[in-house]
Amino acid sequence: MAKRYLILEDGSAYAGEGFGAGATTSGEVISNLNLLGYQETITDQIYHNQIIIFAQPAIGNVGINHDSYESILPTAKGMVVRDVTNISTNRLSRLSLDEFLQQHNIPGISGIDTRHLIRKLRKMDGPVKGSIVDVADAHAFDQLNATVLTNRQVDQVATPKPYPNPDTGKNVVVIDFGLKHGILRQLSERRCNVTVLPWTASAQDVLNLDPDGVLLSTGPGSPLDLGEGVLEMIRKVQAEIPLFAIGLGHELFALANGAQLAALPVEYHGSSHPIRRIITNDIIYATQGQGYAVIAKSIDRDRLITTYVDLINGTVQGLRHRDFPAFSVQFFADGAPGPHESRDLFDEFMEAMTAREG
Amino acid sequence: MAKVVVDAMAMQRALTRITYEIIERNKGVDDLVILGIKTRGVYLARRIASRLQQLENVTVPVGDLDITSYRDDIEHDADHDPKVSAANINFSVAGKKVILVDDVLYTGRTIRAAMSAVMDLGRPKSINLAVLVDRGHRELPIRADFVGKNIPSSQRERIKVSVSEIDDRDAVEIQQA
Repeated sequence: MAKRYLILEDGSAYAGEGFGAGATTSGEVISNLNLLGYQETITDQIYHNQIIIFAQPAIGNVGINHDSYESILPTAKGMVVRDVTNISTNRLSRLSLDEFLQQHNIPGISGIDTRHLIRKLRKMDGPVKGSIVDVADAHAFDQLNATVLTNRQVDQVATPKPYPNPDTGKNVVVIDFGLKHGILRQLSERRCNVTVLPWTASAQDVLNLDPDGVLLSTGPGSPLDLGEGVLEMIRKVQAEIPLFAIGLGHELFALANGAQLAALPVEYHGSSHPIRRIITNDIIYATQGQGYAVIAKSIDRDRLITTYVDLINGTVQGLRHRDFPAFSVQFFADGAPGPHESRDLFDEFMEAMTAREG
Repeated sequence: MAKVVVDAMAMQRALTRITYEIIERNKGVDDLVILGIKTRGVYLARRIASRLQQLENVTVPVGDLDITSYRDDIEHDADHDPKVSAANINFSVAGKKVILVDDVLYTGRTIRAAMSAVMDLGRPKSINLAVLVDRGHRELPIRADFVGKNIPSSQRERIKVSVSEIDDRDAVEIQQA
């Protein structure tokens, strides 16, 4: 395999071996601490334009299957791993990771001490740009430094047009900010008749469909870049229809109800943090992926109740409106990749819709 | 033959949702008191109170209402309505928002008796009814404000609610008579 380099904007270069596509790419470098689920991770649109460093040292050993895609066309900019294995004995495997990355023109680089790299990234301020390149020369660094990271991620990955995902059950409108398929899968398992709307939909567009419930999806980037229109939509819709929001949707739900957000010093992507469910005082685990968190002190307690909290970093992980059946979680309740124990939030959503009917 | 229609997880979720709905409807927990109807309603009432405590850090008074002449699992005398005693309640309900909690809402006669017993204690600001299961077949104009699950049933069927505090598990089952 060809020798390639991961270079970072601080001038450091890491030599490794290329796999997947031979493309030269640049993007924000982030760390993923999950032990499992590289396929779901690499295809999740929250990683749009990002180069993902995997802490788990062996990646590729279950291949790629056709049940675990989280998007049709993944748009991550690269994978950085310690060891990549192209031998898979998993019965679901259809392709090797290498073949899959070639199909989607995503480069990978292996032979990197990813745990060392992740420690180093934690000490660096703010988003760190990086590139996967063939030659780590001055030209490559100039190119990297000239790269401007986009803040229009949602526009680039979310659907521009409405589409249906019909079934015979509850009528659910999903607002797409770059949704992962896990959300649609959970709604399908519950027989929901889904209409996916672009994130620019107005409250009237939503209400015209007369839904039983509305779901605000996950998505990439900063919720602060999406403008006031979407917050206005959320405020109007939550007063009329049961609402469930996940990830970026949760952050927008918080903003719409007067809370403030702060960028985390280091984005957190993993599933090892215990999360306390306050109402029953028990612990769950879930896959988390966040660059922002709701500032606990900014929550207006007359409007919102904090429902989940991360016990490691103290971040707010769930909110609920005091006056309406509207609730949100920061973590990925669809459980793709697992843990699966928060999937019953979708049952909670179903039951909120049923209760509304009386 | 018994069929589980609400499992332990679903029962937890139902009580959680009812708790949030109580907060929504009452605009908070001020002046709330919760009265559980014996036997299983008492445990459900305590679970709701414990959830409110977790969320709002407020201790909501919980009391027991005792049914003296009627039990759901004994063939009852069709000519006599159940009698409910509020003798064990040692706090005032006057001016309070009372949440009555029962496991199964059926004819509505127990609830009517419970409301009379509460009214005898004082004049509450309001009375709301929370039930885990509404099985239909009302004989009085009574409806629940908070319902865990609607289970349309035949009168020949028996709805059995188990709670882990006194039974071996949390579940709602339907049994064919």
